[in-house]
Amino acid sequence: MKIGVWLHGDSLSKRDPALRNYPEAGSVFVFDRPFLEKAGLSFKRIFFLYECAVEASDEMRVGETVEEILEWVRQEGVETVAVTESPSPRWREAVERLRQKVEVEVVPAEGMVTVPEGYPVKRFTPFWKDLGREWV
Amino acid sequence: MIQSKFTGSREEQARGLAKAMVGMYCEKMEEARESVYIGGRKAGLEALEKFRVQAYAGTRNKLKGNVSRLSFYIRHGVLGIREVAESVREQFGKSYDAIKFWQELGWRQFWRHLYGLWGDGIYEDREAPKVPLGNGTDEELPAEIAEGRTGLVCMDETVRELVETGYIHNHARMWFASFVVHFRKLGWKAGEKFFYRHLLDGDPASNALSWQWVASTFSHRAYLFNRENIQENGGKEWCARCTAKCPFDATYP
Repeated sequence: MKIGVWLHGDSLSKRDPALRNYPEAGSVFVFDRPFLEKAGLSFKRIFFLYECAVEASDEMRVGETVEEILEWVRQEGVETVAVTESPSPRWREAVERLRQKVEVEVVPAEGMVTVPEGYPVKRFTPFWKDLGREWV
Repeated sequence: MIQSKFTGSREEQARGLAKAMVGMYCEKMEEARESVYIGGRKAGLEALEKFRVQAYAGTRNKLKGNVSRLSFYIRHGVLGIREVAESVREQFGKSYDAIKFWQELGWRQFWRHLYGLWGDGIYEDREAPKVPLGNGTDEELPAEIAEGRTGLVCMDETVRELVETGYIHNHARMWFASFVVHFRKLGWKAGEKFFYRHLLDGDPASNALSWQWVASTFSHRAYLFNRENIQENGGKEWCARCTAKCPFDATYP
């Protein structure tokens, strides 16, 4: 089973948990053209991401994220895309679309604390009191 | 489409990327510049090695205080949040400064967790405001604010630093957000968009929910400041140069 790692803007380094699980796998990062055209970020942000991606990924692409990943999957013969989890709705939507075409393995992101499923969050103070005991 | 890696100096690489990605950033191509802050894990690890947590708790609110400036590396997963916390523990052990620093890292995970729960709901008022807010619905800040031409040196210098470097101190973020929301009575969303556009550490959840924290739509009270607060934490240089009638030179509005 050939694994390929999709690196995204929440996890853009060799420290990426998916990449650490599959250190021999090839990796890709995509500058999402539709998002960037709409968001109008400063170039400094784009270049910062570029510098991160140059170090972290084997290939950089520009275009619509899912289409670009699928093209990379075909090009490299990737059978499973491993990716680190993100809370972003755009990321979730991309994963759902990818799953219609290719196997996707989601790897948990690195956290300082473990938040139990269904934890009722209201304010930071009780959150930290409950979950941050390792760090107080 | 494959994007090739550019060669040459940082400046040359930035020029190459600016040309390749025209239409995907807000500046004109000839005005597109790289930040002084360097991206990538190598630079992130160097910054982490240089950071000393001593005096963090007592000085972190000062613009010239001992803050880490690691936020853009953490935001993009260039440095792991746990990696940073553990590095401080290994190097400096547990101390009042370290505990305060870990707590600030904890805020980032808190925002991230809420983003997972609420998704794009972070862009809607989470609660009723605790003070009267303006009902501005403009998507952009007025040009005089976004271009640093208000005449208020503290606000204009904040904008200048943000636009030039992609980073400003957290306290400057809070003052600016409070100025926009409570003094100018503009909606928080235009300010949120302005920060997200420029901050190298711009993260949807940290940014939107921090603006809501200042606005009081996700906190128990509005965040307000005055001139004394700026002078105590930012120094007196701004006020010394300022000729505007100071809207902050009062008790809290």
